[in-house]
Amino acid sequence: MKKVMDTALLLLLLFFTVHANRTHYRPPGKPTRARCRSPEKETFTCWWEPGSDGGLPTTYALYYRKENSDTVYECPDYHTAGENSCFFNKNDTSIWINYNITVVATNALGSTFSDPVDIDVVYIVKPNPPEKVTVTVMEDKGWPFLRVSWEPPHKADTRSGWITLIYELRVTLEGEDDWEMHLAGQQKLFNIFSLRSGGTYLVQVRCRPDHGFWSEWSSTSYIKVPDYFHREKSVWILITVFSAFIFLILTWLLHMNSHSLKHCILPPVPGPKIKGFDNQLLKNGKSEEVFHAMVVSDFPPVTTSNYEDLLVEYLEVYVPEEQKLILEESKYLHKLEGSTSDNDSGQGSLESHTLLMDKREETKEEERLTGQEGSQTGMGPQRHQKDWDEEKPYAHEDIVSPAMSSGRVKTWPSVFSPLPQYSSGPKSQLSSLKIAKQHCLSDSLFSSYNAEPGHNTKKAIGPSWEFCFSNKQPQLQAHSDVNISSIGRNQAPVFRQSPAHQSTEYVEVLRVNEEDMVLLQPVVLGSSHGKGWPPTHQVEVYSKVKEVDSDNTVLLQKEVMDEEVDRCPCEDQEVNGATESCYTSSDITTTQKPAGCSHAAMPAQDEMVLAASGYVDTATMFTLPTY
Amino acid sequence: MAHRRTSGSKLFMTVLCMVAACNAVPITELLDRASQRSDKLHSLSTTLTQELDSHFPPIGWMIMPRPSMCHTSSLQTPNDKEQALQVSESDLLSLARSLLKSWVDPLLVLSTSVNTLPHPAQSSISNKIQELQENSKSLGDGLDILSGKMGPAAQTVSLLPYSGGNDIGQDRISKLTNFHFLLSCFRRDSHKIDSFLKVLRCRAAKLQPEMC
Repeated sequence: MKKVMDTALLLLLLFFTVHANRTHYRPPGKPTRARCRSPEKETFTCWWEPGSDGGLPTTYALYYRKENSDTVYECPDYHTAGENSCFFNKNDTSIWINYNITVVATNALGSTFSDPVDIDVVYIVKPNPPEKVTVTVMEDKGWPFLRVSWEPPHKADTRSGWITLIYELRVTLEGEDDWEMHLAGQQKLFNIFSLRSGGTYLVQVRCRPDHGFWSEWSSTSYIKVPDYFHREKSVWILITVFSAFIFLILTWLLHMNSHSLKHCILPPVPGPKIKGFDNQLLKNGKSEEVFHAMVVSDFPPVTTSNYEDLLVEYLEVYVPEEQKLILEESKYLHKLEGSTSDNDSGQGSLESHTLLMDKREETKEEERLTGQEGSQTGMGPQRHQKDWDEEKPYAHEDIVSPAMSSGRVKTWPSVFSPLPQYSSGPKSQLSSLKIAKQHCLSDSLFSSYNAEPGHNTKKAIGPSWEFCFSNKQPQLQAHSDVNISSIGRNQAPVFRQSPAHQSTEYVEVLRVNEEDMVLLQPVVLGSSHGKGWPPTHQVEVYSKVKEVDSDNTVLLQKEVMDEEVDRCPCEDQEVNGATESCYTSSDITTTQKPAGCSHAAMPAQDEMVLAASGYVDTATMFTLPTY
Repeated sequence: MAHRRTSGSKLFMTVLCMVAACNAVPITELLDRASQRSDKLHSLSTTLTQELDSHFPPIGWMIMPRPSMCHTSSLQTPNDKEQALQVSESDLLSLARSLLKSWVDPLLVLSTSVNTLPHPAQSSISNKIQELQENSKSLGDGLDILSGKMGPAAQTVSLLPYSGGNDIGQDRISKLTNFHFLLSCFRRDSHKIDSFLKVLRCRAAKLQPEMC
């Protein structure tokens, strides 16, 4: 019956279609793509795609037949599932039964049938996505992991086992495109490990019945993994320990090689390699003393032929006003015992201020010295005799015989100030002192050139001219037939320390008395002193010690000056322990060759000049009376 | 009716639990294994039919017998969920066993006729048919053990003889069509078996909800 009706309807539609050829209307197009789905194996829905409507309002109908019967049923529900759909509820759904479904589009001009579709509900199951997906960060022994849990779609009856669902989830980091798939089976819980610290993860879950289609993915769940430093901490600890270890090793290596490294990086500054240079002195800041220390007795190396070059050409003595020459030789000599002088050299430089003080004390005792020499020089001269003995070899080489200069012997002012009344044989004393001083000066000069080991005279030649007096009495034997008389205090020669440009007063060596004292006399320019004094003249002629010969005589040499002088080999002069730097003979011999200018005491005395005009001619003065 | 069935099922569950407690292998475990086997069976059959459909002549659809023509259609099985959930466990098991036993012979016919099957994927189909047979056999054995543990009611098996004979057709179309038809019937029946066993599994695993 139904078939007849259908056929009639079809014919009618065809008739109308034929008649409607003239118009643009057409029968509807065939609905296509009819598909059905069941979410829980209890209901199902079919959808179709409508074809062209042919310009006329078209209606759609779905008809179905079940396999066991020929009854055509129409869709019971066109609305629940939306447009172009048909919903079969539980009452209309039978499983394990084939449905033959056809969709018919109908408009005024006709109907169009779609292709029939055979379906079995159990084969078209596509569940809804899982619900209540929760992702939490949990910790497993310090390592975090994600725990994802979900629930099956609420429609699917999994509790009774009617539908068995298999789940699958996928994870990705925020911003990345690759998903990490995980099949979870039938469980509703899943753990994801190996997370990146501090990353945000996206998680999705879907499900599928045991023999069905995959559901859609659930909505994305975002989860942020907190920063954890567990792994990094262990790495950092390892790195720290390792680097500390390496650092310790490096430190130890550095310490081991610190010395060589120091030499590499900071090469040692070579110190001054000057003989006699004392670094300590330099550090102490006393530059004067440093330079004094540099006065080495045997530097520069002096040979006999070159001694002239090394000698200071002149000796200049400057006596200040307030310091007067003490002509009393013995007293000075006595005082000199206690003076601090270098005992290790022939230099015997005196400390002038000591001498000064001593002299001030002894201003009144000037008369007595000469007689007290022998007794008072107890220890001292002996001591110094030793020194002199030691100095012998040096002395011979270096001491130049005093030049027979007509010039003055310049003495140091400090030594002779305050100048007491040099009563006893002032002249001789003066001369002796002078000579002694001269000698000593030259001695000091030479001795400084001597590279004497251990010689460390603190008295330098330079700024401080020191009178070289040893403790021993300055026994200068002078051959002099001229008496040097003391001029007086006001006429005391002025000593000055630097040999230059100050008004100088000169002391003339008068003679050496019988007690081996050089008697000196201050010389005033222009005045004549005693007989036999050569007249003074402007030209300054100096004497210098040339050498000390084998007889322990100081040979003075006078510089050749422009005025004519008598050449005379200088007399031998003995200086007995006059100063430390003076070379004394062990025995005080006053035997000199009187007026032995041509005496053999001076070998190679080329330049011996005997001054004739007002200057001390040491050679002449040192003619000693034979004892 | 329903009330009685519910109380009956409760009784059954009690018996089941007692029986399960005295056994080495618990029933739930056996059911789980059986379910997995049946699941595999059905998946194989689905794959086979899809493979066969790839090169199936359209005209074969025309002469295809209707599914009610399956030799197991006489067996009364639930048609929807409510009906299925009301079936007792023994019945469910009995149904499953009956279905499975009914397919022993037809599968044999299929395995013999696949050799001459005019199909491009004939070898693959042949392998799968082989697999089907093995699976079906092992599942049958397991269900027999299960039924032994589930009481006498589970032992009843309905006989469903296959009347198709050894010949599935002479011409290519007939062969293919008949082959296809048999496989489709098997596919449905395997699905029924799988569903029944899974329902049984969930019912037996009341203490283990994660299984369902």
